[in-house]
Amino acid sequence: MKKNLLALAAIGALYGVPLAQAADAQAANFLYDTSTKNKTIWPKPVTNSGVVKYNEHRQDLSRWPSLSYQDHRSAKKPETVSLQGALNGNADNGKKLAMNNQKGNCWACHALPGDPQPGSGGPALLNSGTWRYSDANMYQQVWDRRVANPATVMPPFGTNGALSDQEIRDIVAYLQSLK
Amino acid sequence: MKITSLTLALTLVGALGLPVCAAASKTTDATYREYTPYINYGNNPKASDDARFSNTYQYWQDNAKIDPKRASSLTEFWTVNWKYREAPFDGNLHGGHVAQDRGEELYKQLNAKGDFANCMGAKKGGLKGLRLTYPRMDKAMGSIVGMEAKIEYCAAKQGMKLENGSYDNTAVSTYITAFSNGMPININVTKGPLKGSFERGKRLFHMKAGWTNFSCATCHVTLVGKNLRGQTPTTHYGDASHWPTWRSKDELQSLHIRLTECNRNSGVQPLKIGSPEYTDLEVFLTALSNGYPVASPSQRD
Repeated sequence: MKKNLLALAAIGALYGVPLAQAADAQAANFLYDTSTKNKTIWPKPVTNSGVVKYNEHRQDLSRWPSLSYQDHRSAKKPETVSLQGALNGNADNGKKLAMNNQKGNCWACHALPGDPQPGSGGPALLNSGTWRYSDANMYQQVWDRRVANPATVMPPFGTNGALSDQEIRDIVAYLQSLK
Repeated sequence: MKITSLTLALTLVGALGLPVCAAASKTTDATYREYTPYINYGNNPKASDDARFSNTYQYWQDNAKIDPKRASSLTEFWTVNWKYREAPFDGNLHGGHVAQDRGEELYKQLNAKGDFANCMGAKKGGLKGLRLTYPRMDKAMGSIVGMEAKIEYCAAKQGMKLENGSYDNTAVSTYITAFSNGMPININVTKGPLKGSFERGKRLFHMKAGWTNFSCATCHVTLVGKNLRGQTPTTHYGDASHWPTWRSKDELQSLHIRLTECNRNSGVQPLKIGSPEYTDLEVFLTALSNGYPVASPSQRD
């Protein structure tokens, strides 16, 4: 696994990851500044000024396919995964991740216990622990829901690298605890 | 052995992929992207088509006669498509009016000799109806442009820097737009360059992107009317007619500035103000406002 990563890194260095390079970002009309830490920037109009000020975004968004006509990267296809070993999830941490809008942000779409403004974009998760989903199945749904439902609007959190293996385990443990 | 074959495969992909990216103008068939299913936009869309989509048009079709009860209902306000935040329903003063005054001041400086209005395409210097001629295929600039791109271009000719997306540029846009208040948007996307632009904008609106794998349509088609934390996405019909707008976070925004915010909110890399992509989205959204009256200055959440 480590060797695979090294091979990937070497190839990345040789050929460059398309559009991660400044020149490509320029051609792709990205709001992108390589001199900043997170690269992705956004415009802020300043009152009584004819110049746009740019602020740094909290993460580098150029890592994923964009709407640019110059961006020919593929999106990642639905990914089937199998949960390795026991779940070993921390439900308390899972709850924090589910209610953190810079992490899982599950509550944006799903109703969760204790949320005064429940989302209705997806099914309520108020008693997801009674659904009798296996840990492995629940893990797959968070990793990439498209495998079960190609028309889903749920982000493929694992496939696209938004949440780590352990973070998804924690969220599954939390969902299984809701009864 | 496994590593070697992986290395080889990636090398091939890299070697083949890079020139394609460098040449870069058309997405190859090999590019895998997902799309939110299209709704039937037809070739000649108009705001009232929303009646067969989100079925809220009846509640906002006349922006002078918004039902106040509906507008203040936590579960139904979204069906009014935010039209209760603008004149004639809401005549309160807000930051958009301050911007309008600033825009007037700048416009008078820019147009001291009448050249700025001519450059903008105003007939006999009159600003009434000028907003309705944008976005357009612009001969002088050689591309399809929104009004704010043209303001930047024409202001530069007068020696004034008004970057597209800046407060002052959008202030001039707000001032000019207000002369068309009450006049229905009416761009023709059935022929010529705007037809292609509309089709591209439609595709972009439905194309999934970013770590979320969201498209614009994820929220504004699939999830329209659903609760997403404290917010409820509204229909994309009848929206472009109220831009530029004063946001409740106290910010004057052009439509393109808003699109960079939409992109960030959905985990997608934002693009440059005035880029062909945002301009095509502007053409698409403007066509979906056909038949709906301009409102400026407006305010939105």
